[in-house]
Amino acid sequence: MPVAITLRSVTKTYHRGGEELRVLDDLDLDMAGGTFYALMGPSGSGKTTLLNLVGGLDHADAGVVQVGDTNLADLSGGELAKWRAANCGFVFQGLNLLPVLSARDNVELPLLLAPLSRSQRRAQAQRVLELVGLGDRLHHKPRELSGGQEQRVAIARAIATDPQVLLADEPTGDLDRATADSVLLLLQRLNRELHKTILMVTHDPQAASYADQVIHLDKGKLGRIEDNRAARS
Amino acid sequence: MPWKLLWKNLVGRPVRSALTVLSIAVALALLCILDATARGFTAAVDLAAQNRLVVMSQVSLFVDLPLSYEPKIAQVDGVQRVLKFQWFGGFYRDRSGFFAQFGIDADRFEAVYPELGMVDGAFADFARERGACVIGKGLAQQHGWKVGDTVPLISSVFPRGQSGVDPWTFTVRAIYEAKRKNFDEQTMFFHFDYLREALEQGAAQGPPGVGTYTVQLKDGARAEPVMAAIDALFEHGPQRVRTTTEAEFNRQFMSMMGNIPLLLRSIGGAVLFAIFFAVLNTMLMAGRERTRDLGIMKALGFGNGQLGLLLVAEALALVLCGSGLGALLALALGSVMAPFVSAFAPGFAVDAAVLGQGLGLTCVLGLVSGAAPALRAIRLVPVNALREDA
Repeated sequence: MPVAITLRSVTKTYHRGGEELRVLDDLDLDMAGGTFYALMGPSGSGKTTLLNLVGGLDHADAGVVQVGDTNLADLSGGELAKWRAANCGFVFQGLNLLPVLSARDNVELPLLLAPLSRSQRRAQAQRVLELVGLGDRLHHKPRELSGGQEQRVAIARAIATDPQVLLADEPTGDLDRATADSVLLLLQRLNRELHKTILMVTHDPQAASYADQVIHLDKGKLGRIEDNRAARS
Repeated sequence: MPWKLLWKNLVGRPVRSALTVLSIAVALALLCILDATARGFTAAVDLAAQNRLVVMSQVSLFVDLPLSYEPKIAQVDGVQRVLKFQWFGGFYRDRSGFFAQFGIDADRFEAVYPELGMVDGAFADFARERGACVIGKGLAQQHGWKVGDTVPLISSVFPRGQSGVDPWTFTVRAIYEAKRKNFDEQTMFFHFDYLREALEQGAAQGPPGVGTYTVQLKDGARAEPVMAAIDALFEHGPQRVRTTTEAEFNRQFMSMMGNIPLLLRSIGGAVLFAIFFAVLNTMLMAGRERTRDLGIMKALGFGNGQLGLLLVAEALALVLCGSGLGALLALALGSVMAPFVSAFAPGFAVDAAVLGQGLGLTCVLGLVSGAAPALRAIRLVPVNALREDA
């Protein structure tokens, strides 16, 4: 069941060096379930902050962040951790993986939090690695993988527990064009075939073109929303 | 719990982990040896016989008592036996070959000190022969002496011959083993009468009296009234005495050398701190290096308790590996050092009590040093952690 994301009057302010920095300013936003969104905007426009709020990694100072039926403000720290484990997959920019673990062990990490036996965890980790085209890299350590392969492992880990929401922060920021395109195609496939709701932060207009909709933020406020589907059709 | 991650983190930096484990192992071995030595010193006090008293001059341990005191002490109510005990101060070959020797009454010695068991030869053979001696098992092993061997000693207290350096000779007739830890196995006992005869014949010089008397109490006799009665007996001289329990005598004897157990335990305490800082440093470095990893794990849904436990378990694993190795090292060192250390600390032994205390303390320190990075991990905000470069 695709999960929708709703933000109402969301405000987030950081205090740095005695200075108050309002990163999100009374933001209202509705994102439909099963849609691939790209979040764009200049540095400091609040893209990553918005992603962190939706993923329950940070709290809004005011307003409501609702993912599916859950208002994240109602959850305590421990509940939020459990909610993340069950509902969200994360892909960060570079250095996504734990360097001491193999590709399969990295993918198995979130599965440790699910009620699965060791053999079930192994089978699931292998299955998702095959899904992202890395079935032959199970035992490779991150340092033995290329940047693109590392991001694919990170995506495999993000979908290992079958969450409905995938959050990606500049997932192709460190990759060359061809590798970036293959990662973006993979995300697009996950959205189209598995109906994941994807929210991806990017500076790259070409990366954003893979999304269904592009949301522009500027100084913590909502800018225009472009619909790539309309453009494609 | 991601136990595999714990293991991978430990072996992921093999040199650092190995050095930490080795430092813990060496520190624990040192701690155990120091503790065993300290216990060895105090064992003579803790395990002293309850039914033995020591009578010495009130002036000093180094002032002799008259031989005429013996029958008078034997008459005191509650006294079973009285035994002469005379320090000989001899050395074998040269001054480095020093060990303790005492002249004693051979006919009563075995009854007063039942904790000595003969493992070679027979005490009766020793008792029959005026120039014989009985030696401890450790002493026999140290010098390779066996029953029938002759041991020449030069005494600084009882010089023999015109030159004063003629050797006294003793024939080994029995070798004893201590059944309790209060007695060392590095001592020689010989006939007090052998010494006395030489003095009377002018073959040797030295104090004419006796160093101390050991008093064995009758069954059921209380020590305090007997001690008071003996002290009162010689209240008006010619030599006033001080009677103490054997435990008190041993304690006073040891205090003459300073508070060595306290010194050893102080060094042990410093060693413990060294272990603590070694593990704490490793764990804090490990925690800091893994800030981003911890942030990722928090983002994946791992709770504070799980991550804290992971870091504490990692510290504990390091400490347990080091402690296990240290315990083996302590046992090996203990068995090598025992013959030498037990000469001055008769209760020296790296046993279960010593190892248990050392292991327990290091485990507590492991837990504490793991708690510091664990607390840091718990306080870590995932968003901030994810901003860190690995």
